[in-house]
Amino acid sequence: MGRPTTAARLRVGVARFTSCGGCQLTLAGLHEALLAVADRVDIVEFAEVLSPRSSGPYDLLLVEGSVSTPDQARRISELRRQARLLVTIGACATTGGIQALRNWSDGDAWRAAVYPQPQFIHALRTSTPISEHVTVDALLRGCPIDPGQLAELVTALLVGRRAQLLDATVCMECKARGTVCLISSQGAPCLGPVTKSGCGAICPAFGRACYGCFGPAHPANVEALKAQFADQGRSDEEIGRLFAGFTANAPAFRANARPPLAVLDQPPVGPEPAARISHGFPGVPPLTASGDDDARQ
Amino acid sequence: MPGTAEATVSFLARADLDELIQALRAGGRRLIGPTVSDGAIVYDEIQQAAELPHGWGDEQGPGHYRLTRRDDERTFGFVVGPTSWKRFTFPPTVPLWRARRDGTEVSFESAEPEPAPLAFLGVRGCELAALGVQDRVLRDGPFADADFRARRANALIVAVECTTSASTCFCTSMGTGPEVRAGYDLRLTELDEGFLLDAASDAGTAILQRLPVRAATDAEQARASTAVAAVREELGDPVMTDGLRDRLLANLDSPGWASVAERCLTCANCTLVCPTCFCTSVGQASDLDGLDSTAERHWDSCFTPGFARVAGGGDFRARPQDRYRQWLTHKFATWVDQFGTFGCVGCGRCIAWCPVGIDVRQELAAIAPPPESAARSTGVREARFVVRATAPAREPLVQAQASPAPAPVAPAGTGLDFLPAVVRSSFPETADTLTLVLGDVDPAILAARPGQFVMVERPAFPAVPISISRLSEVHLDLTIRAAGFATAELTGLGPGEGVGLRGPLGRGWPIEAAVGRDVVIVAGGIGLAPLRPLVDRVLSERERFGAVRLYVGARTPRDRLFGLDISEWGTRDDVEFAETVDRAGAEWLGRVGVVTHLFDTAEWDGSQAVAFVCGPERMMQAAAATLLARGLAPERVYVTMERHMECGVGLCGHCQLGGFFVCKDGPVFSLAELGDAFGREGL
Amino acid sequence: MSEGPRKPAAADVSWFGADLPSAQRERLAALAREVEFPAGTVISNEGDAVAELGVVRHGRVALRLHVPGKGMLTVLTVEPGDIFNWSGMVAPYRSTSTLVTVEPVTAVLFDAMALREAVAEDAVLGSFVYPRLLRAVARRLGATRLQLLDVFASQAGEPW
Repeated sequence: MGRPTTAARLRVGVARFTSCGGCQLTLAGLHEALLAVADRVDIVEFAEVLSPRSSGPYDLLLVEGSVSTPDQARRISELRRQARLLVTIGACATTGGIQALRNWSDGDAWRAAVYPQPQFIHALRTSTPISEHVTVDALLRGCPIDPGQLAELVTALLVGRRAQLLDATVCMECKARGTVCLISSQGAPCLGPVTKSGCGAICPAFGRACYGCFGPAHPANVEALKAQFADQGRSDEEIGRLFAGFTANAPAFRANARPPLAVLDQPPVGPEPAARISHGFPGVPPLTASGDDDARQ
Repeated sequence: MPGTAEATVSFLARADLDELIQALRAGGRRLIGPTVSDGAIVYDEIQQAAELPHGWGDEQGPGHYRLTRRDDERTFGFVVGPTSWKRFTFPPTVPLWRARRDGTEVSFESAEPEPAPLAFLGVRGCELAALGVQDRVLRDGPFADADFRARRANALIVAVECTTSASTCFCTSMGTGPEVRAGYDLRLTELDEGFLLDAASDAGTAILQRLPVRAATDAEQARASTAVAAVREELGDPVMTDGLRDRLLANLDSPGWASVAERCLTCANCTLVCPTCFCTSVGQASDLDGLDSTAERHWDSCFTPGFARVAGGGDFRARPQDRYRQWLTHKFATWVDQFGTFGCVGCGRCIAWCPVGIDVRQELAAIAPPPESAARSTGVREARFVVRATAPAREPLVQAQASPAPAPVAPAGTGLDFLPAVVRSSFPETADTLTLVLGDVDPAILAARPGQFVMVERPAFPAVPISISRLSEVHLDLTIRAAGFATAELTGLGPGEGVGLRGPLGRGWPIEAAVGRDVVIVAGGIGLAPLRPLVDRVLSERERFGAVRLYVGARTPRDRLFGLDISEWGTRDDVEFAETVDRAGAEWLGRVGVVTHLFDTAEWDGSQAVAFVCGPERMMQAAAATLLARGLAPERVYVTMERHMECGVGLCGHCQLGGFFVCKDGPVFSLAELGDAFGREGL
Repeated sequence: MSEGPRKPAAADVSWFGADLPSAQRERLAALAREVEFPAGTVISNEGDAVAELGVVRHGRVALRLHVPGKGMLTVLTVEPGDIFNWSGMVAPYRSTSTLVTVEPVTAVLFDAMALREAVAEDAVLGSFVYPRLLRAVARRLGATRLQLLDVFASQAGEPW
């Protein structure tokens, strides 16, 4: 990569799958920073905010949301062909999101109970992250993503350097802020030690234990933390619900997640996707920290 | 400045405590002291005595901290909380330098520290010791952290002797408390009715003189001593520190490491609450075009997954157990080699604030148990620590000499500031490796010795360590392989473009050790780059050396560096030169095979020779083994080590290898110095 | 196999041991000959039955393997003092690579079948031949493993 060419402006798109739209709003919420970016790139597709539409090609495609219908599974493959760099943003796109809790349930039974004519609802059995369908070049975690990380990713692309996304746990950010640890001082069931950094440790700063919306850290010694919660007197059911949140479907959390009303112990998992996270183009270093083991997520 | 002078002891009534507070705040000083917040006693700015935690105490244990209500109104009836003074002397984020790019010109401006004057109220014995430990690391070495030094100089210290303890404290074992003996401006010991005060510096005396104090009575002083002595008695001696360094280093293969790793979350909490941990990383913040950027120093931790990674994807401490071992052995063993003290001060924070309650005292007893014969009376707590069997020691390649760390080499002139240089020309060596020839280089950097390196910086990119591959009167060559974004940026530069250089850094090749002896040089791949200045120097003074043997290996013929030099070396009759490649096509008529086969069956006598080896670590291990088998003495075989470097001057902590900082104690080491550190997994 | 004219003098068989007893030395010499090859000679092809083992005295022999789409790749060169076609001592007695001289080579060649018979009959000869062969093969295996690690490929921009 090296020097970014000033000749052609990057074509940037934002695509949405099953999601609340909050991650796209974070992009819109950059305000002046977004205008500065818009000066240097062509945002050709961003339905939530702009009128122009484009179905590709894209130099950079930001994808929000998980795949939960057959249509979406087709659409993501088509988009992958159109995108030079595909970056998933948010818990839905990176882990399957809160809607992935249905992976533990009997979808047919729910559909029959809710819809008078369930045969017209075309949904997949599961809600899955984008990386289970196509190769992903980089990802931004969070529910929603952190605007600072988004700004850094775009800046890094434009400058031609690696995006500096802090690769640590939420604890690092809590301590940098000076927040008093909720686990030691209150016995709170905080998932911070096994959750990837990036949010700036917002929730603990307000006395709310982290619920892991940025997904598991690497490595995430979930078993050890679980054992600690159990020692502190929490029931298996309570602990199971702790991991059954916005990133329940992430592999490190999945094994311990027990959503309420789950009928399955484990959600169905497809065959191990082979290296779904690319390590850059040939001759081009990976966009985020090398060794970011999200292929194993 | 804090001093150690013995002074008269005064008494300040409890009701007059606010006088002290206001005196400390006089002249615009910000007072940092303990205060209750969010269920803990933290250090924060306070403005009046009422904000102090009167009547509060704490109860601490592994993974456990609770505030308690005392049945008196004691002001300092607690011990240390989650914050340490490090927050104010070594803050989480500090700007380092600003870099600008304007066309082809680059400029760099180091950040000037301008710390506000602070007063610290309530510094415990262990915390004073921690400040002293950080002084040695960050201020008193060949390279000083300017920001830390300024903050330290601007902070007035009011120490407090502990009259209570927590079950997590072990200052007695580490020799840091509970008594406060030196390093303060003012010292306080609390009694029911007030405070005993003494000053040990001019600044302290000046404050004392403004307070409504009277002389303390003998009885009051005796009660104070008794109270502190009672704490000493309570704590006992939970950690046997005699011989601890040696015991830990003898147990690097203990099964205890894997065992603690099963519980460890590698969340980094222990390092973040620790008052002496100093590892940091450098981040870049820039505008969208990379024209104006600031480099900042952030707290990091040896537990973070990328801490020991290098460009190209290698990770020297990939397993959590390696990272835990690094932390514990650094704190209690290799810190001694580096700085002459333990890194730990026994404050117990890592025990209380570990989410799963790992207790270092217990881990030390398990992994590096004291000898059975040590019968001492100890506190009640020692009974908890289970002694496990020691694992058998591993047979090292070379027995390490019991020698001190080699003296670091201070840079000749540029210190910690980037100076610009200009690309004069560039020369592609292979498909992904390029040599930049730089001009307008600061004379101090041109005076570098063969084997030294520079930190190379482009605005908005991280600085990277690059070895100098040729030195001359006016030019400096850097041979760079595009392995990541920063190196790709450098290899994309054309004539006239600017870079920032910091250096020369590191310990170079000890050429003097080879004078009068046979010289063997073994280079693999890009390892030839830091060796080329050595070859240049030896050949320019050829008569000072015995036989000169140069062995070079590369991956394929197209990956060979310095084609012109190789041709020249191959035709000289005063150099025995041989090269080989790992594999080749049919058009290659040279040797194919490993570089060690160039000399493993040779007939020359190695017993008096000196060898200089550089290449991938695995290749250096093979070369080292072969050279030792050929009779070379381990103190005369020199290798270069590679580790993750962010600062290049021994302050960020990333490049540690056992007790060495690769950047300042190395990167050149003899096999004898490295001993078992060479080739040990996960060190 | 093409070759130059035979040398009339007795072949030097000391590669199997400078301290060979004279009986064994004679036996070996009887099945050995010194040969000169011009550069570019194909001594044997991958898969051929091995007629003779060889020890290089001068010059260089390339061991090559054919990789479809890439042509012939040299994976090792045999230098003076090193052996080639040792697979003539191990079933199925076939060459595991194509051997080509890259410069004029002088080599001592040993008749493979005769050597196998001699070693089977004479235990003392075996006690010299096999350890020497094993040592050479071990050295080569060590080198091959290092080559397999492809250490130069994973090298970062800096050795440190």
